[in-house]
Amino acid sequence: MNNLNIQETKYTPKIDLDFENNTVSIIGKSYPENTFEFYEPVIKWIEEYFNNTEKDTISINFEIIYFNSSSSKLFFDLFDLLEENNETNTIVINWIYDEENESALEAGEDFQEDFENLTINLVIK
Amino acid sequence: MSANQNKLIAEIEELQEEFTKTTNKLIKDVKRQDKIMARSDKRQQQEYDELQKKLEEVNSLQKEIEETQKEVVFTMGAIGESRSKETGNHVKRVAQYSKILALYYGLPEQEAEMLKQASPMHDIGKVAIPDAILNKPGPFDEAEREIMNTHAQLGYDMLKMSKRPLLKMAATVAYEHHEKYNGTGYPNQLKGKEIHIYGRITALADVFDALGSNRCYKEAWDNERIFKMFKEERGEHFDPKLIDIFFEHLDEFLDIRESLKDTF
Repeated sequence: MNNLNIQETKYTPKIDLDFENNTVSIIGKSYPENTFEFYEPVIKWIEEYFNNTEKDTISINFEIIYFNSSSSKLFFDLFDLLEENNETNTIVINWIYDEENESALEAGEDFQEDFENLTINLVIK
Repeated sequence: MSANQNKLIAEIEELQEEFTKTTNKLIKDVKRQDKIMARSDKRQQQEYDELQKKLEEVNSLQKEIEETQKEVVFTMGAIGESRSKETGNHVKRVAQYSKILALYYGLPEQEAEMLKQASPMHDIGKVAIPDAILNKPGPFDEAEREIMNTHAQLGYDMLKMSKRPLLKMAATVAYEHHEKYNGTGYPNQLKGKEIHIYGRITALADVFDALGSNRCYKEAWDNERIFKMFKEERGEHFDPKLIDIFFEHLDEFLDIRESLKDTF
């Protein structure tokens, strides 16, 4: 399985999906023109990852400075996908936020609240 | 029969379970959407508030910059005046005359307002003229006159490096306010419309005010004498169109002179 790397743009984050190291990182701003289209390959990659891998530990790092509401919806969907695979894998999610970024913290708390079965760490940058 | 019935029930129960699952998912999704919306609304409000605050800051800074610029320009003009033999409200009157000349000449309001602010700097070059010449009580000899006349070039040199529109305008005013329409002025003997309109306007405003004011070394000219001179200098020293504007709106010029007259 190949790695997937997407460069950061003005409206979209830098994304690194690393198969060998079992890491996913999404860093930057997220307000793409078409959010679902933009993240489609990412979701596909993660689905494929879970299909291709034996029980493993995967760490997922989010460091989202700014996001629109469809990105927020997409992250919920992504967390759904993670939750579905939580029993067969060890999934560690790090939600990294700047201390002054209240909305980022609140979003992290929302995910914790909605996904009690997932390990979601709120990490101050 | 009973087996059939049981099968039906089992099917319905299966459907019921599916339905519950689906509706539960729908409820979860709707709740999630509501939450996303609420968060998004809150964020938008914060962002808008923040933007408004920043905009106010920018506006107030903008105003501060403009006020500072006006003040600096006005103060520079006053410094120039303090080095020349003009006193009192001369700078303010020249500013007002320049603005109405600009407006009647057809320049846009904003440009006329800028000229009002820039014109007081016309003599700024005099700060670089030696006191011995500047304060000489008697008439200048030729060498002294030549040095005195360098104030136009000096003023231009002081201001020409600026990229600020107002100071660039002031540079032009300083440079060209002693040019004469017939090409006999200084420093470059420009002729007619080779002289920038800012220079032509300030020339008239400056001379009109200087002639009509009392100075320690001369009495103010009376109006008739000034008007006669202006008519003679129409197309010579001054732009004929500006002289026509001057006489057409004479009342306004006299009103400004009256409202800003020197009180000593």
